[in-house]
Amino acid sequence: MIGIDRRLLQNVDWPLLLATAGLVAMSATTLSTLNVGRAGGGVALRQLGWAALGVLALLVVASLDYRKLVRAAPAFYLLGLGGLAAVFALGRSVSGARRWIALGPLTVQPSELFKLCFVLMAVWILTSRWAQPPGGSAIVMMLPVAAVPFVLVVKQPDLGTALLLVPVLLALLVGAGIRLKLLGALAAAGLGTLPAAWMVLKDYQRERILVYLDPVRDPLGSAYNVIQAKIAIGSGQLLGKGVAGATQSRLAFLPERHTDFIFAVFAETWGFVGCLVLLTCYGLLFVRGFDIAASSREPVGRLVALGVTGLIAFQVLINVGMVTGLLPVVGIPLPLMSYGGSSMLVSLMGLGLLLSVRMRQFQ
Amino acid sequence: MAVFAVVVGALFAIVGQLWYLQVLEGGRFLDASDKNRIRVRPIAAPRGILFDRHGRPLVDNRPAFTLSLIPRELDRERERRDAVLGRVAALLDIPFRELVDAVERVPPESLMPVRVRRGLSLSDVAKVEEWKLELPGVIVEVEPQRAYPSSRFAAHLLGYVREASDDQLKQGRYRRGDMVGQSGLERVLDEHLRGRDGGERIEVDALGRSIRVMQAAEPNPGAQVVTTIDRRVQETAERAMEGKAGAVVVMDPRSGDVLALVSTPAYEIDRFTGTIDRAAWLRVVQDPDRPLLNRVIQGQYPPGSVFKVVVTAAGLQEGSLAPMDRVHCGGAFTLGDHTFHDWKKEGHGTVDLHRAIVHSCDVFFYQAGLKVGGTTIARYAQAFGLGRATGIDLSGEKIGLIPEPRAGRRGRRAFLAGDVANMAIGQGALLVTPLQVARAMAAVANGGVLWKPRLVQRVERPERGVIWSDPGRVMGHVELSPMVWAVLRQGLWGVVNEGGTGTAARIPGLDVAGKTGTAQTVANSKSEKGQDHAWFAAYAPAPNPEVVVVVFVERGGHGGAAAAPIARQILNAIFFEKVAMAGFTGS
Repeated sequence: MIGIDRRLLQNVDWPLLLATAGLVAMSATTLSTLNVGRAGGGVALRQLGWAALGVLALLVVASLDYRKLVRAAPAFYLLGLGGLAAVFALGRSVSGARRWIALGPLTVQPSELFKLCFVLMAVWILTSRWAQPPGGSAIVMMLPVAAVPFVLVVKQPDLGTALLLVPVLLALLVGAGIRLKLLGALAAAGLGTLPAAWMVLKDYQRERILVYLDPVRDPLGSAYNVIQAKIAIGSGQLLGKGVAGATQSRLAFLPERHTDFIFAVFAETWGFVGCLVLLTCYGLLFVRGFDIAASSREPVGRLVALGVTGLIAFQVLINVGMVTGLLPVVGIPLPLMSYGGSSMLVSLMGLGLLLSVRMRQFQ
Repeated sequence: MAVFAVVVGALFAIVGQLWYLQVLEGGRFLDASDKNRIRVRPIAAPRGILFDRHGRPLVDNRPAFTLSLIPRELDRERERRDAVLGRVAALLDIPFRELVDAVERVPPESLMPVRVRRGLSLSDVAKVEEWKLELPGVIVEVEPQRAYPSSRFAAHLLGYVREASDDQLKQGRYRRGDMVGQSGLERVLDEHLRGRDGGERIEVDALGRSIRVMQAAEPNPGAQVVTTIDRRVQETAERAMEGKAGAVVVMDPRSGDVLALVSTPAYEIDRFTGTIDRAAWLRVVQDPDRPLLNRVIQGQYPPGSVFKVVVTAAGLQEGSLAPMDRVHCGGAFTLGDHTFHDWKKEGHGTVDLHRAIVHSCDVFFYQAGLKVGGTTIARYAQAFGLGRATGIDLSGEKIGLIPEPRAGRRGRRAFLAGDVANMAIGQGALLVTPLQVARAMAAVANGGVLWKPRLVQRVERPERGVIWSDPGRVMGHVELSPMVWAVLRQGLWGVVNEGGTGTAARIPGLDVAGKTGTAQTVANSKSEKGQDHAWFAAYAPAPNPEVVVVVFVERGGHGGAAAAPIARQILNAIFFEKVAMAGFTGS
């Protein structure tokens, strides 16, 4: 099953892989300039280790037929839900959030892994025979499938990951050809639940949204991250301060600088020009992803490619948007850049799915 | 494709935001990132050190701990800031208001630490360090602080150093928290002694830990001052005056150098340097013994019989007195309807001028004064430098008083005979300072040269050498014929060595000459020690004087009994206690 025949290899998407390699390299260099806590300079090496593991996973996934994976989606989905539930029983708590499970020497973040399961599950529903053409019944089916994990993830609490599921789902619904009238109704319903959602949010989450609306509300509290990130990014100016001059990052004024805020470190070090290079890599990734979706001749491939690309693209946009102060702070890592094994693994596995679709587009 | 369009649109929005942040506003953010990591740490320049004439330090510096607040690093939110300040107040027992006032006097963006308490004890420092994480914006600085050989050593001479007062700040020469010489030499020489503070710009991380020094300006220490003081003589004199109120001046008649300048009681100079609480301050200021008064230059007293030297000089020089003049002293002298008494009730019998000086016969001098006349006496008193400033390099000098003729009948101004008689024995309205007496006695010792008393030889900087020096200055001459000088000196030698009033100052092997004085004061029944101020003004060795010693004891009683023994002690130390003399006579 894992064997890859020559015909498939001809269709490997090299630009996609090139952009990916470039991003992983930028991640490792950026991490190596930071002396992060107890992990020390080892962070960059560990990140590369995870990337290597991720590449292996990518190859495995790419060699599998995505249609088979979608057929097995309910199983993956239930497994993923199990992981999410397990966090509450076995989870390791880091700064007030239970998001991680220890597996031997490694810790994994089930909510990261679940993202892919969710995409597969959504595609499975939207392409199942009884849901054709996609309409009300698909949405009705989709609601509990999305709502259960949403609540579980929010409870961890990991608002960012939970919110990410919304645009991904929307993209899939649009891609599946749901009529706009239905979508409009859905959006109205969603807006209707906003006040209720506000009640459910934790205090610090509400505070973050308020700070987004009014950054000087509390310069040393919740807004500290945003302000420091803006200072870091802005002070990079056109060409950046270089590794030695990036004082915001090096001197730890920037919180979460190796994870969610890594973009600010990169921006401070390499400036606007560096950011353009980085965003071009991501842009290339997205363009290839959407191209794969568009050129796939059957709905399953198209939706899988669309879902995966959307997943990565929305993470990038939300993360960079939040770091640059365009969006409120929600804890979402920057795919392929932020330090974190689960995120790296999932991103690369997602890219594996894209490759799988691309390689089989003429089958 | 809709999703694709959304993603691309968002990407462009992000690029736009980056353009805004990095290119349009980049300079502002760069500035902010610099501010973020930079802390200014002032390094106080050590004050210059004052040395005695043999290179021994009169005062030194030692590191002391100062509690400071950095306004910029304090919490901006009032409540949280006040919580931190409250913790500090409780920890170190400082009034909370004091801390708040100190912080609110400066702009909240200021990087410069505001010094709120100097002279922290080691345990206080430990407390602050222990709570460091809960006290953002609170630091302990190390600053050099004055250290003295002993608590009251040369307090009036050196003067104390304190933070610039509000009035001084208004003059604009000082910044808040600057240490400024407030009295004595520290005040006169403040410009030289202060030096220039240095400072460091250091890069700190988010936890305030210093990462590296970006820019450092070395503090420029204050200049060193070589005084004319002989520390050993100063210490001897202080010891000799212990428990008494009064003053001692030791002067070199050959140069006007002041070797010792003592005023007692002294205040605790080291306590004035740090933080002194209001109660302690008031105790010193309101002390009836007036420890803040520098009696050497600010105390104005009648000179008593010491003034007979001036009357004698005036009479002999003007021809109204002759050495052979004889007077019978029966213990009193009647002028009109007023009887003037001699200090010795039974009288001195028949005395000539010499014996009158030796035994300080008042009756002789009542008559001598009338012969010489008030105007002439006043003129000679001025010639000897009495009643005018000596010009010593200390601030707050008082000038004393030489009586002027009163307006009499028909508009003519004239001295009344009674006033002249009183003035002739150094009483009445006549007032002098101990330093004036020392300078007058030095003139007798050196043949009439009136020196400006010299306290500072030179001010020097290690890198620039001598930047200021005082070569000494003659402010006048007392012109007397050699015969007059000879009679005067013989008389003064006799006071000590012929069984006169100054016998207590006699030292075998050393020719000491001097004059006692016992000055009656305005009746002050509060004092149980008696009413009279005791004076003794001496020089030695008599044939070739090297040193003048003036001792004044407030309400000490007879000059011969209270002041002369102290002068003896000091002279003995100068001439017979080896160590110091070696260097001293050699000059």
